[in-house]
Amino acid sequence: MEEFDHEVDAPRGATSREWEVFVREDTADSLTHVGSVSAPSADIAREQAASLFARTAVTLWLCPADETHRYQTADVTLGAGQTGEDATMSVDEMESETLRGENR
Amino acid sequence: MISVSKLLCDLDAEGDGLRYDAADESTKRQIRDEKQRRPVVVWNVTKQCNLYCDHCYAAADTEIADGELSTAEGKALLDDLADYGAPVVLFSGGEPLVRNDLEELVAYANEVGVRPVLSTNGTLITEERARSLKDAGLKYAGVSVDGLPERNDDFRGVDGAFEGAVQGIENCLDAGLKTGLRYTITERNAADLEGVVDLLTDVGVDRFCFYHLDYGGRGTEIVDADLTPEDRRQAVKRVCDMTREYHDRGEEIETLLVGNYADAAYLVEYAREHMSDAQAQRVYEYLRVNGGDPTGERVADVDYQGNVHLTQFWQGYSLGNVRDRSFGAIWEDESNPLLRALRNREDHLTGKCADCRYAGVCRGASRLRALTVEDDLFAPDPQCYLDDAEVHGPLPFDTGGNSVAGGSSAD
Ligand code: SF4
Repeated sequence: MEEFDHEVDAPRGATSREWEVFVREDTADSLTHVGSVSAPSADIAREQAASLFARTAVTLWLCPADETHRYQTADVTLGAGQTGEDATMSVDEMESETLRGENR
Repeated sequence: MISVSKLLCDLDAEGDGLRYDAADESTKRQIRDEKQRRPVVVWNVTKQCNLYCDHCYAAADTEIADGELSTAEGKALLDDLADYGAPVVLFSGGEPLVRNDLEELVAYANEVGVRPVLSTNGTLITEERARSLKDAGLKYAGVSVDGLPERNDDFRGVDGAFEGAVQGIENCLDAGLKTGLRYTITERNAADLEGVVDLLTDVGVDRFCFYHLDYGGRGTEIVDADLTPEDRRQAVKRVCDMTREYHDRGEEIETLLVGNYADAAYLVEYAREHMSDAQAQRVYEYLRVNGGDPTGERVADVDYQGNVHLTQFWQGYSLGNVRDRSFGAIWEDESNPLLRALRNREDHLTGKCADCRYAGVCRGASRLRALTVEDDLFAPDPQCYLDDAEVHGPLPFDTGGNSVAGGSSAD
């Protein structure tokens, strides 16, 4: 038995809540994960997903990405334990580094 | 991307091998081989930005966002892209220069054989950073300017943004970095187009990319501020006219149109009306090999959290995440019916696109705009400005061959 002891817990949402989308194209098919949509509510997520998949899907499931726990048997693709590194400028640094044509 | 200077003025530029099967005629170094079937990957390295542009598709913010890929993860992603054979990585954002490890990532992309190019607002490119990016092996910097000073600063939400961008461009050119303009054409700034080109040619820029607005991110709020079809036709015509005028004067600027493949149809019509039937046929042949809108095939996007998107503008839907699966596994997974349908979109296009004689060079242009405006993935692109007489009728030329998907250069 595999352990599924690697959790991928990085957020999936960009601008609003993210919803994992699953569809079935035929009642005999298994449910397939087909990506995710960004939407502030389940109703809007359903509209968004329907606009992409209603052509072929007979079943549509939506799970909030922040409620979805993702586990794998092996290390995550990009390597485990490397998140949390802050490589970007602070707001102050950005402000002071911004060129405004001073030396032109 | 559609190279106007190549199609109308026969300008031979590096990168054309990615777009057209013209490498045989080309004397410059070309990026070719089977790699061109793999997508150019736009990587939004951060969501953070020092400006606040009206049309920002990434809905950028001044604060660092949750879940940004770390330096180590970024390198692992570049390994992943190299393994899959992605020819080009376009570092984008947010503003990619807010990442202090950008040079390290650029150098790493180079090392693993993925050509690093950059999309930036230019205002953080100090002399030091221009030099360090050049030293890291950056191949090209596309700097966004969206109008003459007053208009640009208004659009970008920061006073001095225009001057800052020009200063950044000068710093790049001084460092010996190939640099070009990115200009997103809207109702508000269409009038400034020639003025900006004039100004920047004086600075030493010789490559100009004109983007049509796609309707994602903050852009959705300014669908109303987009050009009318007639104004769009005029703007594209002006790009064509301007390119020929510059070339006639011996100034060989490179001009490209990006983001609306109805331009491909228009260019054939333009060449026929203003040049000759023979030129129109050549234009058509090139574009047929180019293969039309590349969404979901020859262009891809990975956002700052590792979510894979169909294009950089289509942030509202993600195919999967590179922290869960490799990029190649996500991109090749055609158990996804949307990906399958997009890759066979010819079979699904409706309305005027369904029987458009230019469908082979356009492929219905932007599916994202159709979805946003018509709520129908396969409706005609609302930005198509060709009239019924132009799109109906027999194939413009009998070419006697099948379309071969060419490359795409997202820079
Ligand atoms: S009708 Fe459709 S396929 Fe034809 S040029 Fe317009 S958008 Fe492209």
